[in-house]
Amino acid sequence: MKLAYIIREGILGIRRSRYAFMISVFSVTLALVLIGIGVLAVDNGLQYIGDLQPDYDLEVFLNKDASNQEQRDVATSIKEYPGVIRSEYLSKEDAAAIYNAEFGEDVLSLLEDNPLPSSFRVTFEDQHRTGPAIQSFIISMEYLSGVDEVIFKKDLFERVQGILQSIYLIAAAGIFIIILFSVFMTANNLRLMILARFDYIETVRLLGAGDFMVKAPFFFEGGILGFIGGLLAVLAIAGFEWGLRFLHIIDLPVNILSQPEFMLGTILFGISIASLGVLKAVRKMLRFVS
Amino acid sequence: MIQFNNVHLRFDTGISLRELNFAIHPQEFVYIYGPSGSGKSSILKMCYFELFPNVGSVTVLGENTSKLKRQKIAASRQKIGRVFQTSKLLDDRDIYGNLALPLELRGDKTAAIRQQVVRRADELGLRSRLSHFPTELSLGEQQRVSLARAVISKPDLLLADEPLIHLDAEYADLVLKWLWQLNQGGMTIILATNNEQLIQQEPARTLSLEAGALLEDYSA
Repeated sequence: MKLAYIIREGILGIRRSRYAFMISVFSVTLALVLIGIGVLAVDNGLQYIGDLQPDYDLEVFLNKDASNQEQRDVATSIKEYPGVIRSEYLSKEDAAAIYNAEFGEDVLSLLEDNPLPSSFRVTFEDQHRTGPAIQSFIISMEYLSGVDEVIFKKDLFERVQGILQSIYLIAAAGIFIIILFSVFMTANNLRLMILARFDYIETVRLLGAGDFMVKAPFFFEGGILGFIGGLLAVLAIAGFEWGLRFLHIIDLPVNILSQPEFMLGTILFGISIASLGVLKAVRKMLRFVS
Repeated sequence: MIQFNNVHLRFDTGISLRELNFAIHPQEFVYIYGPSGSGKSSILKMCYFELFPNVGSVTVLGENTSKLKRQKIAASRQKIGRVFQTSKLLDDRDIYGNLALPLELRGDKTAAIRQQVVRRADELGLRSRLSHFPTELSLGEQQRVSLARAVISKPDLLLADEPLIHLDAEYADLVLKWLWQLNQGGMTIILATNNEQLIQQEPARTLSLEAGALLEDYSA
């Protein structure tokens, strides 16, 4: 029965102050759209920079006369090395085909014997993709018999890593400021919405409602507000992305509709900031009620 | 049921109550009588955990009000009915919704709430007004709704602050008799008034106040 009261009062609360509710929904939506577009811009920026990098981090070349056993040992060592996410074996024939594709010349027609060595292309997990970690991998590989040399495009790697790091920092600061601004703006709107209901809060408190029974309907109302705000924000961001594509401005590789977890996250974040914001506003109001 | 021990209450603007010592026992009907500003409402507020003494202690339903935690205040208030000087009805719901509110907060079942609301509305001639909103009612009717709401959860104690002030003679008489019936049924009633005729009409123990001090405590 108490639960029924909480739900009913929450829904009635929306009907009673529908304009304040609509303004608060708009404010939550706007906040989430700002945050969402910020996150998507960063995601797309990172994706773009990431595309500049080769598919693999470095290449381990084998001696021309490396035995099958030595090749297998090298393969195992690479596979078991911490942080290696993928290793791809390229035979001498694969290397010749790549040479042919890149330079338009058949190496076998130029030379009698294929001089290209077989190799492994190695890719690291993001958290292991650091200069020192890759350097120690190179050292451990060069000790293995059967390995001729390890080629690591250090300059390109460091430049890309540097850009990525700057983007992370700028993005983190930018998103932090957007979140701060959005939460402040939303909290103020929610406070105004609750202020309009002071009579209700005072009366139910005087009629014997405990803090929980005063707050719970507002918490529920905040949840609904946040859900609607989150849903509208997802639609607005999707519409924004569609507009960019429709007007041929840019076709974003990372978009909200391709990421269910981003959509869900936006809605959950909306529910959280709205219900907690409402709760905070009611708690403040209760200080003025005996 | 209620015990005031050497109670002093001071506001920033001056002293409200001084050296109050009295006890009110279960099932008593007590008038608190005095002119405006004599401290009648302050005494009721102290009994309802809205104000707390600066000096001395107030005990209500066995609890020292100054030591009661916020969460327990809510539970204690559910045992007390309160009629405020203003009706404090919620304009956003009809009279039925206003009367049902204390029972809903307590978690009563819908059928029991309906039965109780209709019963109290019948007693105070409000049956035809249940679907109306407070703004559609006269002040007297609002006052009767406020009275009905105060006793809807069958409290042990009723604190009524000038409950008859907006009522015409006919309804004032009806309500006073109704309050006495509630008292006969076991409810302790404290009624604050500045109307001496009311006390003469239905005499009972009276605490007479002047400028925040207890002038007289006499029984009928």
